[in-house]
Amino acid sequence: MTGFYTRWAIMVGGLLLLAMMTFQQYQHDLSTTSLATLINSPGRSEPVRIQGMVKSGTLSGETDQGQATFELVDGPTSVAVVYAGPPLENIRELKTMVFIGQLDSNTKTFKAKDTALINNFGFVTAAYLLTVLSMSWALFAMSQRVMVLFKEIKDEKLYEPEIDPLAK
Amino acid sequence: MRWAPVPLLINYLTIEPFPPSNCPITIGNMLNRFIRYIQRYKGWFGGAAAICIFLGLYTGLLASPPDYYQGELVRIMYVHVPLAHTSTLAYSVLFFGSIWYLWKRDPLVDNMCQASAGICALFTALALVTGSIWAKPTWGAWWTWDPRLVSFSVLLLILGGYLMLRKLVDDRESGGRYAAILAIVGGIDLPIIKFSVEWWRTLHQPMSFSTRGVAISDDMVLPLTLMSIGAWLLFGYMVMVRTQILYLTDLLQAKKGRLFSQTHFSQTSP
Repeated sequence: MTGFYTRWAIMVGGLLLLAMMTFQQYQHDLSTTSLATLINSPGRSEPVRIQGMVKSGTLSGETDQGQATFELVDGPTSVAVVYAGPPLENIRELKTMVFIGQLDSNTKTFKAKDTALINNFGFVTAAYLLTVLSMSWALFAMSQRVMVLFKEIKDEKLYEPEIDPLAK
Repeated sequence: MRWAPVPLLINYLTIEPFPPSNCPITIGNMLNRFIRYIQRYKGWFGGAAAICIFLGLYTGLLASPPDYYQGELVRIMYVHVPLAHTSTLAYSVLFFGSIWYLWKRDPLVDNMCQASAGICALFTALALVTGSIWAKPTWGAWWTWDPRLVSFSVLLLILGGYLMLRKLVDDRESGGRYAAILAIVGGIDLPIIKFSVEWWRTLHQPMSFSTRGVAISDDMVLPLTLMSIGAWLLFGYMVMVRTQILYLTDLLQAKKGRLFSQTHFSQTSP
């Protein structure tokens, strides 16, 4: 009995460890700075990732040449973006995107050098959690059932040799 | 009264070769013998499945790159596709097992079919739900009347019907027979599922692995392969455990029935 539950505790611990490692990795790779935070801390010199929606009617420039200017909106805050980097193949107005670059504190414009993927791992988490939890529950229930059946056979002393009625 | 020691009972249930060595090898008992033999190694199946899935999760979630267009969402593929593959594999086991059962009437194969059906239903339901989660951000809808989705849902309905038949028909043999016929008729859904993306216009992406080659990036092949092998091994392990449960339940009922009849006989006989 104890061994059974210990084994399952170790497995659950391993899964939790993997989940924590994955979460940390994703946080490191995909965390973004909000536009409000960016504007309120103008002294930052290191490149940051910002996420927002390209405002309608503001996109101009040669996007396929990697040159564009537009306004990025995040709730009530907006910032002007000057993009100069790799060609923007999938940019369009009203699309939420992530840009990497720095804020120019003098002109209050964000000088973007590259794009990044949107932080959308909520769906991924839901799919993985659902699968792992369902499978773990099924496996645990089945293993427990086998154990209970063996125990029932043992406790009830249901196993006994057949009595041959012709033996007497 | 003397009771057999439990270890001996466990040996009797799991390790003793069946049919006995003096039993002739015929087509009828070959599959039975194979199932009994492979049952001994179910722990190895479980262990190998755990290793493959752990490595698959690590490579799928941490080591593989995100997709250019889908971003992180592509990682859902590493659970959705193996689940879908395994559910069709599980139904194939059920299909061929049902043919065998109708031919040879082997109760062990019947137990295996029943076990496969339950586990296949779990894999199919999870494949549908994870597919739906993937569809929402990529297609913009949780569900669409797409041929692949509809044919896969039909598979779940067939499995539901199979399990209900097993539950509702009192006579074990009749239930097994009717359910086997349903499983064989339902087998027509398997080629429809497989070729639905080629026969009809569909939103669902075509097959990733086919005779035309591999349609996904090399970086994604490793986690997908590991997760697929892990899911097949896990299915094998779960079928063996579930078959053992059905066998033990039958044994318990038989023993209880025998004890009851003996008690009843001793009380009523002069």
